Amino acid sequence: MTFEIHKLQGARRAVQLTVIFAMLLVPAISRYANYVAADEIDEQIEGWEGSVQGSTIAILDSAFRSLPNGEMKREGLDVSERDTQGVIRHTQAFRGGPWSAELFGVSVTDPLGGLESIIARKHVAAVLALSLVVPVILTLIFGRVFCSWICPMGFILEMSDKLRNLLKFLEIKPFNIRFHRGTKFSLLAIGLFSTAILSVPILGYIYPPAMISREFHDLIFTLFDRAEAGFLGWSFVGLTWMSLILLGIILFEVFVSRRWWCRYVCPGGGVYIVLGMKRPIRVKLLESKCTRCVDCVVACPMGLNPMNNQMGTECDNCGACISSCHDDALKFSFALNDVSEKKSQPIAIPVLK
Amino acid sequence: MSEKIKRRHFLKHVTASAVAIAGTTIAGKMMGGSGEVTACIRPPGALDEKEFLATCIRCGRCGDACPNQCIQPFTEEVAKTHAMKPGSAQRNTPVIFPRQQACMLCNSVGSDHLLCTEACPTGALQKTKKTTDAILEHVNMGKAVVDKQLCYSFNGASCGICVRACPLEGQALTAGMWEKPLIDESFCVGCGLCERACVRYPQAIRVMPREQLDDV
Repeated sequence: MTFEIHKLQGARRAVQLTVIFAMLLVPAISRYANYVAADEIDEQIEGWEGSVQGSTIAILDSAFRSLPNGEMKREGLDVSERDTQGVIRHTQAFRGGPWSAELFGVSVTDPLGGLESIIARKHVAAVLALSLVVPVILTLIFGRVFCSWICPMGFILEMSDKLRNLLKFLEIKPFNIRFHRGTKFSLLAIGLFSTAILSVPILGYIYPPAMISREFHDLIFTLFDRAEAGFLGWSFVGLTWMSLILLGIILFEVFVSRRWWCRYVCPGGGVYIVLGMKRPIRVKLLESKCTRCVDCVVACPMGLNPMNNQMGTECDNCGACISSCHDDALKFSFALNDVSEKKSQPIAIPVLK
Repeated sequence: MSEKIKRRHFLKHVTASAVAIAGTTIAGKMMGGSGEVTACIRPPGALDEKEFLATCIRCGRCGDACPNQCIQPFTEEVAKTHAMKPGSAQRNTPVIFPRQQACMLCNSVGSDHLLCTEACPTGALQKTKKTTDAILEHVNMGKAVVDKQLCYSFNGASCGICVRACPLEGQALTAGMWEKPLIDESFCVGCGLCERACVRYPQAIRVMPREQLDDV
C-alpha cells in the first residue's frame, strides 16, 4: 500500500515555526497569568504601553478575554470585566515546551526524559507512563518524526544547512567530516548508565530541545523581570552560556560536519530511532520510475541515499526526498512486515557531494 | 577497499566513543564529585530530595503553572540573590525562596488541585488535592522556625503579623501572649507566608528546608 503526500514540506515548516513561536509564547502566557492572578494586569498594560512587554500582555489579554468564560458581566451594569478565574483556567492549557508539554489536555513528555527519569528513580510513576503514551505510539508508527517536525534544533540546523549551501555557492568549501552513526547510541548508553549511577537525569542538560526551551524561557522571563524593574524594550540579557553551546553546535555544523548533531550525537534521536525501528511507514522507491537524478540524495537532510531503497533506521520520515523527486518515484508506503528493506540491493550512486 | 573503509569507520567510531566516554565521565565526576546538595525549599508535594532529584526532568512546567510566580529554576543567577549556590545536580530544578515569593497553596485560584502538582509530568511533585487533609499529608516544604532574638513579640513589642499570614492560622501558628508566634510542627507545611510577611529585617521567622530540620 502506498500513498502520495506532496505539499508536506510546507506543513512541516509551519509546524516547526509554530513550535518555535510557542516556545516564546508559553512563558509570556505564564507571566500574563501571574499578573492576572495578582490583579495587576490593568496597571501593567497601562504602564508598559508601547513596549514589547506591554503589547505582548495587551494582545494576550484581549485574546484570553475573548475566550468563553473569559469575561463576566459586572452586576447591575452593562460593562463586562475580566473573569480572573476563567482566564487563569484557560492559561493553564499552555504549558511546557518540546521537552515536556501539555497538548489539548494531554500531557506529553519526550521519551528520553521519561526514560531517564525512570532509570534514575528506578520506579515508574503512573503520571509519567501516561505522559509517554502519545509520543511512544506516534514514534512506533511514524518513526523519528519528532526530529523532523517538532525539534527546534532540527529546524535550526536545517536552516544553517542553507548557510552551508551558501558557503559552497561562494566557493568556500566547508569540511564534511563523517563520524560513525553508531556514536549516538554509545553516547546514549553511557548517558543512561551515568544516569543510573548518579541517580540524576543528566542527558536533559545537553539535549538541545530542552536547552533551547530553557533558554527561550529565561529570555522571556528576564524581559518581564526587567520590565517590572522599569527597563522596557527588547534585550538579550536573559540568555546564558547554554546559548554558546548551541551556537557552537550550529557553527560546527556549518563549517565542519553536516547535520553532525542529529546524525552522530543526539541521545534523544537515538531513543527515537530505537523506538521507530519497526515503523510501518517508510519512504519507498519505485525503481521503474527512478531516473537516477540524485536530487533526493542532495535533498535528504540526514545525508541518506533514498535511491538505494534502504532508508533503514536513520530516516526521520521528513519527506524532503519525496518533494524533491520530479519523477514521482518516491512514496510513503505503509507495510507492517517490511521485506524489501532486506531484499533490494544497493544501487551504485554516480555522484556524491 | 571496502574493508579499509570499514576499518576507518570503526576507528572513527572508537575515537568518537572515547571522546564521548571521556566527556560523560568528566561531567559525571563533576556531578558526583561535587555532589553536595544545597538545602532548599521545594514546591509542594515534592518527593524526598534525593528521589526528587532523580525524578524531576527539569522541564519547568511547575514554574509556568504557578499563578503566584514563586517557583523558580534553581540557577546560579537566581540563587545568587539569596546568597545560595545550587549543587551541580540541582541546576534548573524548581525551588521556592519564600522571602521573595511564598507559596500560597493556590489559595485564590479556582482549581481542585495545587496547580504545580497537576502540571508535573514525572510525579516528582505528587498530585495534591486542595483540601487541608491532602495538603497536610503530601506537602512538606519545610518547617517554620522563630528566631527569638529577632522577633519583636519575644522582645517586648507585640506584632503577630506572621500569625495573621498563616493559611492554617490557629493550627500551625497560634498567637500566644503578646502575639508571640507559637508553631505546631505537625500542622506547619512550610509554605513560607509567615516568612514573607515578617516585618523584621532579616526575617525573624523563616522556613527551614527539610534537610536542615534534623540539624536543629
